Amino acid sequence: MSLWIWVGAFIVVALLFLLLPLWRQKSALAGRRNKVRWSALGVLGVLPAVTVGLYLYLGAPGILTEQALIQAQTNYDVDGMVKALEDKLKATPNDPEGWYALGRAYIAFDRYAEAEAVLRKATTQAPKDARIIAQYAEAMALKQGGLEGRPLELIQEALEISYEEEKALELAGLAAFQKEKWAEALHYWRRLLKKIPKDTEHHEAIAQGVSTAERKLDLSLGGTGMPLPKPPAEAKKAPH
Amino acid sequence: MIPELGHAALIVALQLALLQGILGLTGASRDTPAWMAMARGAAAGQLLFVAVGFLVLVWSFLVNDFSVMNVADHSSRFLPVEYRITAAWGSHEGSFLLWTLLMSAWTVAVVLLGRKLPADLHARVIGIMGLLSFCFLAYLLFTSNPFMRLHPPPANGSDLNPLLQDPGMIIHPPLLYMGYVGFSVAFAFAIAALISGRLDAAWARWVRPWTLMAWVFLTLGIMVGSWWAYYELGWGGWWFWDPSENASLMPWLAGTALLHSLMVTEQRGALRVWTVFLALTAFALSLVGTFLVRSGVLSSVHAFALDPLRGLFILIFLCILIGASLILFAKRASAVKTVGNFSMISRETAMLTGNVLLLAALATVLLGTLYPLILDAFGLGKISVGPPYFNAVFVPMMVPVLLLLGIAPWMRWGQESLRELLPRLRWQAAVAVLIGLALPFAFDAWRWQAALGLVLAAWMILATVSGLVARRRAVGSLPLSTYGMGCAHVGLAIGIIGMGLVSAYQSEKTVAMETGDTASLGRYEFVFRGAAEVPGPNYSAMRGTVELKSNGQTVATLLPEKRIYLKSNMTMTEAAIRYGFAGDVYVAMGEPLPGGVWSMQLYLKPFVGWLWGGALLMALGGLLAALGVRKQGAKE
Repeated sequence: MSLWIWVGAFIVVALLFLLLPLWRQKSALAGRRNKVRWSALGVLGVLPAVTVGLYLYLGAPGILTEQALIQAQTNYDVDGMVKALEDKLKATPNDPEGWYALGRAYIAFDRYAEAEAVLRKATTQAPKDARIIAQYAEAMALKQGGLEGRPLELIQEALEISYEEEKALELAGLAAFQKEKWAEALHYWRRLLKKIPKDTEHHEAIAQGVSTAERKLDLSLGGTGMPLPKPPAEAKKAPH
Repeated sequence: MIPELGHAALIVALQLALLQGILGLTGASRDTPAWMAMARGAAAGQLLFVAVGFLVLVWSFLVNDFSVMNVADHSSRFLPVEYRITAAWGSHEGSFLLWTLLMSAWTVAVVLLGRKLPADLHARVIGIMGLLSFCFLAYLLFTSNPFMRLHPPPANGSDLNPLLQDPGMIIHPPLLYMGYVGFSVAFAFAIAALISGRLDAAWARWVRPWTLMAWVFLTLGIMVGSWWAYYELGWGGWWFWDPSENASLMPWLAGTALLHSLMVTEQRGALRVWTVFLALTAFALSLVGTFLVRSGVLSSVHAFALDPLRGLFILIFLCILIGASLILFAKRASAVKTVGNFSMISRETAMLTGNVLLLAALATVLLGTLYPLILDAFGLGKISVGPPYFNAVFVPMMVPVLLLLGIAPWMRWGQESLRELLPRLRWQAAVAVLIGLALPFAFDAWRWQAALGLVLAAWMILATVSGLVARRRAVGSLPLSTYGMGCAHVGLAIGIIGMGLVSAYQSEKTVAMETGDTASLGRYEFVFRGAAEVPGPNYSAMRGTVELKSNGQTVATLLPEKRIYLKSNMTMTEAAIRYGFAGDVYVAMGEPLPGGVWSMQLYLKPFVGWLWGGALLMALGGLLAALGVRKQGAKE
């Protein structure tokens, strides 16, 4: 709705630009009132109609309602879901899956302390679930701002339980990468890359990490750090 | 919602432009002050709304609104903020929006500064500029809409072309467009003169400052573009005779010719029809150039066919505009009576000769640029017309122009006697030849390119400076515009010294270097201290460290880079340059070779900076002349 208010304001301003000079000239135009009146009326009628018509034809007014709808839906859904989950877990607290889901939701909203608390609860209820342990490690790392210490121990613990756990592989690789242990990072991430579906953002991000680590490894071994079979398309022409 | 507001603003601007055109022209022909006043109001409103549209586009880039297709296609989350702003004119759509914005800004300048013009001429000029703006806005809205939306929006954009992520590219297009669009003022004045049949010295006096300002901007735009190509493309060239460069050179040549013929028309009332023709040509070529560069025709003629609506619109617009103005010219030129006689030997003849030569040179550039495109368009094969053609055809044609440039300003209007003129310039010519032939011996070898450049430049400088001194002594004080002329002519001479010396004496070397290796070129030694990886915001770079030594002393540390842009996977060479008065040292990283070895390109570019310094002086000269002409006009 406010879009149309703005469009209306635009039209008014445009009309002011046209009609103010006309009005100022009025005194000098005693004999030509008619011409002036007609041009004023013409502009008053045509400009709003054409503006609205052209905008409806060219513009995307629909996108506003769609965007708003999706926004509202997601807000409503997520808020509602979290609330419902909290209520449900209050009633039946013995539900590691439920605490796990709630922890992930908290992480998504950057509520790390709460995420850590509920995930701790989940790990005590399911102490042998690698997925939950890895998620707990992530929440803890996010809260303390690094993987060092307890999170890393939890990751190792998760990997001992299951060497296929995706979150644990990701975090273990990241920890190695941060310590510039390129080969170790590659070990975890290459393993992870085989498990996640292609054409997802997650896959792209990990793949980028892998190629960076590969380059770094090559460099540290005395290579050039550049993919060798070259040359790539070099821009030699002006970009116009 | 904000992108939609930009869209709506452009729609309002479109109508204001049309009203400005209709009201301005009919108001003038029916002598209705009310309509002429409305046209002026419409021009101001149009500027406001186009500016709103433009700012909205910039804002969409700033906040990464990828629901705007233009943003999604030309930006990304990792793009640094300054390039997010300039990406707004990095695309076809955005650059036309910028063009339109500048066009409406020039129009408002004409509205404000032209209040002393006869009302009907003023209204006609505003009307014609309104119709031009209307065409651009229609083109923008119906074929190249910068506010097309994507729903749902992508998570990230596909990044800006790495070539455009550069400070030079931030200012090059706006300057160039200011020049192109500025010629629309001269164009509108010419059409208005043809319609009213009134074209006199006063008319020329009004048009001159506008044309001079447009020419100043165009000169600066070309200068920045050339400098950008020099440091960004990684091999130190400053002019490639690339079609996109020719596209800016052609209006510049026409504009230069126009400046000079306007002077003749203003001072002597002569060459009126020729002046009008040049005013039409300069703007028509600006349009042809922009469309050539921006429609994608250059990268492939078939890009035209990919988007038939765009191509068709462009063709029809160009045909109507050029066709209509030529028809008008043919029908009405006879009404513009030429008065003022001048003899074979006079300043008028000298300037006309220079003009004709400039246009002939322009024609060769036009031919060399369009011919391959036309052949390709009709499927008659692909040919490439490059520097050998242009150097062989263009350069010889410019030599007499430069020789004339030394003489013409000091010739008398109407009639000049060679017997009086030549002795006055005798010693300048002799000294110029002497300097030009002798100076190259100071370099490694005597080369004719250097000698030619130096003879011409010395002649231009000596003749110009001695002329200024003599004239000042004769008449006391000189008008500002005469100093402007001197400054521009000396600037051109300095640019020519740069061109001559760099093309004669540049040297280069490609070497494979390992850490610790030394290569030598000229009087310099280059010590490679290794390459290391440095991360950038949206690229990762290998940065080499090269120690530059002269006579065993380290004079500079150069840091050339080879960048890989992550999103587009494009490799870019960032040359390291040590700028100097007598020349640049230029180092670029080539390809990595196995075992930590890099191929490095080393260049010495003697006096290359003089090129751009000269261009800067030319622009300054143009500015002085514009101010001077305006002051004179105000006095009268």
